Amino acid sequence: MSANWPERISAFSRSPSQFLCSTTSDIFLAEVLHELRDDRASDHIKVLLLSPLLEHPTLLCPSVSVGEETALELMSVFAQCSPKSLPLRCHLLLALTSVLLCSCCVSSHTSASQDFLDLLLQMAQDTNDAQAGAALHPLRTTACDCLRELEACLPGLLSQRLELLSTLRQQENSRLHQAYTGLHALALRNAVYLLTQQKGSGAGDLKGALGSNEGFVWGEGSDSAHPNSESHSDLALFSPLTLGPMGKVPSLQTGQDCKELRSLLSSLLEESYLLTSLSQAALLRRLVEVLAMVPAVSPTIFRAQLLRLLGTCKVCLLHTTLLMKAAFTDSLFSAEDEAFLLKRLVGLSQHPLLSTPEKLFYMDCILHFPENRPISSSDESLPVLLTPRLAAALVPTVFNDSVSMLARLNLLSLVYLEEGEEDREGQGGRGLAYLYDHLTSLLHIVENQASREMVVTFFRASFLFLLHFCHVERYSEDLSQRLCDLYLRRTRLAPHLINLADRTQDRLEESGWAVALLRALQRTITEAPLSQLTLQDLRWHLRILARVAEEGEVLQKATLNFLLCVITSSSSALCVSGDWRLGNGVLGVCRRLLLHPSLDSLLTPLADLLQHLTCHYGETDIQDHARLYYTLLTTLSQEKLAGVLAQRGTERGRQAKVRSLSAIMGETEELTSGLTVHQTERPLLRLVKHEPDDCKPDHKPDSEPACETESSPGQGGIEEYRAQFQSSSFASEITLQYHLTHTGVHDPHFDKLFSIRLHFDLTDSHYEEVSDISVPCLFRTRKPPTVTLRLKPKQPYHTTLRASAIFTTEDGLSWHSPLADLNVAFPEVFLPLLTPLGWAREKKQRVFEGIWGEICSGQSEGDLTNAATSLFCDQLEDSAVGELVEKHFQRYLVSDLDKGRCKVLFFLPPQSHVLLKVITEEDAIQVHIATDNWKLLPYVNSYLEDITKESHSTQQVNGDV
Amino acid sequence: MAFLLAKMSVRALWIISYEKGESVAVRFSRRYPTVEQRAKCMAGSLYVSVPEDGTVLQLLLTEMGLSDSDKPYMALRDDCLHQQRSPALELHVEGPSSGRVLWPVLVISQGSLILACLAMVDAPADPRPPLASLFSVSQGLTLLAGLQAFLCGSGSKPDREGLTSRLAMMPSILLQICPLGTPLDIPQLGASSASAMPTPAGTQKQPAWKTGVHRGRAVVNVALTEMVRSMQYGNRNRQDLWDVYGTVTCKCEVEGVLPNVTVTLTLPPNGSPLMDVLVHPCVSSLDASILTAMSVEDCDSSAFSGPYKFPFSPPLEPFRLCSYTSQVPVPPILGTYQLKDDDNQLRITVSLKLHESVRNSFEYCEAHLPFFNRDQMGSVDVKVSSGQLEVSKEKNLLVWVLGQKFPKSREVSLEGSVSFSGEHPGPTDPLCTDLTAYIKLYFRVPDLTLSGCCVDQHSVQVYSSAKPRIVTSRELLSSEYFIWNSTGTAPVSSGHMML
Repeated sequence: MSANWPERISAFSRSPSQFLCSTTSDIFLAEVLHELRDDRASDHIKVLLLSPLLEHPTLLCPSVSVGEETALELMSVFAQCSPKSLPLRCHLLLALTSVLLCSCCVSSHTSASQDFLDLLLQMAQDTNDAQAGAALHPLRTTACDCLRELEACLPGLLSQRLELLSTLRQQENSRLHQAYTGLHALALRNAVYLLTQQKGSGAGDLKGALGSNEGFVWGEGSDSAHPNSESHSDLALFSPLTLGPMGKVPSLQTGQDCKELRSLLSSLLEESYLLTSLSQAALLRRLVEVLAMVPAVSPTIFRAQLLRLLGTCKVCLLHTTLLMKAAFTDSLFSAEDEAFLLKRLVGLSQHPLLSTPEKLFYMDCILHFPENRPISSSDESLPVLLTPRLAAALVPTVFNDSVSMLARLNLLSLVYLEEGEEDREGQGGRGLAYLYDHLTSLLHIVENQASREMVVTFFRASFLFLLHFCHVERYSEDLSQRLCDLYLRRTRLAPHLINLADRTQDRLEESGWAVALLRALQRTITEAPLSQLTLQDLRWHLRILARVAEEGEVLQKATLNFLLCVITSSSSALCVSGDWRLGNGVLGVCRRLLLHPSLDSLLTPLADLLQHLTCHYGETDIQDHARLYYTLLTTLSQEKLAGVLAQRGTERGRQAKVRSLSAIMGETEELTSGLTVHQTERPLLRLVKHEPDDCKPDHKPDSEPACETESSPGQGGIEEYRAQFQSSSFASEITLQYHLTHTGVHDPHFDKLFSIRLHFDLTDSHYEEVSDISVPCLFRTRKPPTVTLRLKPKQPYHTTLRASAIFTTEDGLSWHSPLADLNVAFPEVFLPLLTPLGWAREKKQRVFEGIWGEICSGQSEGDLTNAATSLFCDQLEDSAVGELVEKHFQRYLVSDLDKGRCKVLFFLPPQSHVLLKVITEEDAIQVHIATDNWKLLPYVNSYLEDITKESHSTQQVNGDV
Repeated sequence: MAFLLAKMSVRALWIISYEKGESVAVRFSRRYPTVEQRAKCMAGSLYVSVPEDGTVLQLLLTEMGLSDSDKPYMALRDDCLHQQRSPALELHVEGPSSGRVLWPVLVISQGSLILACLAMVDAPADPRPPLASLFSVSQGLTLLAGLQAFLCGSGSKPDREGLTSRLAMMPSILLQICPLGTPLDIPQLGASSASAMPTPAGTQKQPAWKTGVHRGRAVVNVALTEMVRSMQYGNRNRQDLWDVYGTVTCKCEVEGVLPNVTVTLTLPPNGSPLMDVLVHPCVSSLDASILTAMSVEDCDSSAFSGPYKFPFSPPLEPFRLCSYTSQVPVPPILGTYQLKDDDNQLRITVSLKLHESVRNSFEYCEAHLPFFNRDQMGSVDVKVSSGQLEVSKEKNLLVWVLGQKFPKSREVSLEGSVSFSGEHPGPTDPLCTDLTAYIKLYFRVPDLTLSGCCVDQHSVQVYSSAKPRIVTSRELLSSEYFIWNSTGTAPVSSGHMML
């Protein structure tokens, strides 16, 4: 098994969901933990084994209890590790942090998380290697990192230990001081924040917090890290701390007296130079936040660092400077500083030594430049200081890569848009002329066999240009003419052109540019000499013409003439060839023409065209549909035609168009959407577990005649029992019954449902596929129908089924609706001992004893590899045992409860048995467990725990009464 | 109670190898579940979980325009509405209309390697905060760039075996630099661990960016490299352009936990000031005047022009101390290029002139004349006044090897004609159609800078007990040095032309 761990772990990381289909998370977790405890496994393998826990703790430890157990296991592995196994121990700390935080153990303040915190703090306190030596540096760093992550997820956890953190940071002289600084700064910032939230906090509280050295604070702050807590209003209130001068920052009124904080901040700042750029940026960022919350300390303490930060080549440090500027504006940055910073950003955005992502980021920073006195707060606005002259450094050129080019085009468009506003004629200045020239050089490149990427970039650039300058007719009209010329040379660009028309129409509805472009394209296509038309071109032309025909404002006569010429001209091989797809293309145009508002004037030529297709097109299918359209055109009024052809013909939503059946032909590519099954927004149906009568506890399960003749002595019973399994279908299924009902969602539209088909999907591979179940109807007013679900286990584990339903409503529409997941619990897989009819109790007991004996002996000899025995004990009153047996075991009893003893047998299809001998002594219950499938033991155990816990609680209730 | 949650973290990290048409695979990925937990809390109902690697890969390739490269148009990939103009991509997890978006996914790619990470949004998700306000973005970019430098090694493209072995080191690298999703450092490159000793316990705090201290002979190596770019059009209506950018690289082997070194750059009298100065974070202080000159605005003749002092405490590994740009009065080599189309035959005239201020001693100097969008070369009848001509008929390329020296006149010329009568079409380029053509120059001149900038050996100050050996060097390299055919149209390359 251990040999394939690397493979298994990489399979898990690649796709956890797929991996867990072939096993369950509990089994996998158990295996991982087992292997971690194995001394023979190498450290390398163990580090690998930790990665699922490190990266997907919520999958493996879905609950606090599992998380807690796992954490305890990992801590014991940690304790037993050889001191030399440093990487393993570091990874164990990380895995523990992930597991404890993600299974909410820390926020529930469990004992394991407390122990873990103590362990971390203890390791962190060994500054300057006083005890463990320099070899343990990595471990100590990791411990600090883990503490920092805990503080990050549970803000305030360390807020009462600031003095200790400060001392540790000051004491440490090795490189590790960085880890301590990060931890201290975060805890400090969180502590100050907490103070701002307490009413009436002042200088004294701040001083107290800085000198505090108490325990961990598990208090109020902790629940915010819980993923389910929703407190948007608060989040919204505090986030502007990061966003700049416009927002509110919570502040702590301290008066002028905060010497301690000031000296602490200066000492942190002084040492910031000793940190790596990334950590330095993070530290500065924390300090900016602290200062923003404590107005008594002037931000000028950053001054000494400022030049160093402004000159830096590191993007993270310069970014921090910008955020600093956003937070403190003119109290730290003069007008000259501001002008300098902006020019610096422009320079960096085109610096030959920087990488493209960095340059793009700086350009984004220009668009969101934190001005000292911002005029507007809109999304993307240009800083006032960005003059066209300054921005000229960033004009797009054909030498830029696509992304940079588009970013520059966007920026410069904004610049020239402002410039244009000052220009009276509204025709744009030299800058705009340059941008248009640039666009035409791109167009020129596209004409010359450009790569796919260039083509896409050109159309994006055109869209961007139009978005800003559509109103400058000189350019927008010229562009559409050039696009038409381009199209004639490169008809393959049709989808791009249609896309451009669609998007400009969506975004610039009033401008009418898109319609003008489509009209121009129509003209281009219809006026081009037919003699040069190739079939390939025609295919694209039909796509464009179909799109043009969607525009009510565009006259369609030219389109029809063109089609007639193409179809009827004697030189045309089209009709003869009978190309189905081309035929469809023609029909697609016709179908849209049938819906066109000017249909009246098109009647004759369109009828001619359809008739010609009907009679002469060399493809029967096309002929048929042309005939259909012809009939519709000649017999129906325009309104009816619109009703038949498109349910929502007037609505020009291209994405969400409801297709009617008559459109299928014209739009073969959208065939599937023609037969739409609608989707309900929320689950409308649910399955409610229903205990059928024959499954109810039966007080006389063995009421068969006791006078049965003893046909076979000795072990005969068990052989006869086994023989039943020779028929493969024997006892292979479990049957579950449910009522199908409506959910709470009340919509009269769904009161009466018909032809309901329930579909079930497996979420793991423990069961055979489940076949669909049909239910004729479901009325809200009537008794709910019963649904019988037959499951065929491959492995007798609990499972979850995804359920969905397809049904029809009264108005004939088909709907698809998901149902809540169906959970099949472990006890639901139990069946009683299945014996031939008429078996006596004694015989069953013999089978029981026989299997029991086999398991016990087989286990000791080691040949029955899957057999296992176990013992479960719990405290339980005598009376409670009776209740427990009656409630849970009655159906599975092999021998009745007698003097506190009984025997229980669960059969789990396909071939597993779990045998219980229940023994009660005074106030304790012992359950001896034997099974021929050891993998079931954990489930049996938790099942027994659940039912005894239940008994406890009922006892409790009885006691209280 | 809600809280402004800790930020500056990444939720997940991916390393992808992408070889066109061959194999695409996620080679390494790492998720940070505790950060994910915080992201979930921050985003509330707008939270979108990170899909499994396979899905992320597909979405990422679509967004980068790399998926289904055999299809000329795909709405998902090529919609003109998608304006990728920031370094952060959006991944539409359940299709474009679902509104379930993973953002911001930061991406850096080099050669066949794509590195991506999902930065945590540390502000309420609606309305979407501007990228520039998210601290995690610059952190993520720095982390990715550091990982890229580590994975690609010294070459521009990672070699297969090297990459595999470096990928295998990723878990231990991440343990050090980003154990729980908050980037702390970038991988160390090429630190000479041989001479580095663990720091003795002392009162002086050791910088976190220094893995030990140097023991042994003190050596300081300062190398100044200048690159010159040029676009020459030979056209009266169009101004020729050229500029220079330089970097100062140091390798300092000096004893001490935090030794002080100062490097001073000086310019000749009347030298134009160094602009856009960027410094390494180990520079401990800067004079404001060093930063004032910038290329994006007009130069002030009274501006500060040195000396430029950079006091710093060096890390163990070689590092780029600073970089600058400069505007020099003349290009080192001035050229003209003329083509005449003569019935499927091109008549070529080229002349190159080395400026008198430039030392006539090259390590190498070559002029490349490529011809695009034509059939393969047939007969080549070209004479050069100096140097040799190499003809590569498959690539439609003439390489004019000028060697180490220009002749005394400092002028060389090339004349002749080339016919394109081959059977196969030659290489194509969408930009260079018709008579749009260029010459690209490649040269290196040792011991020269165009800006005149230099590091005097005696100006390097090292405050340490032992007297160090100090080595300085400088060189000039060409970069994007184009001379366009003056009889054809040439593309615009800079906004300064229109002003």
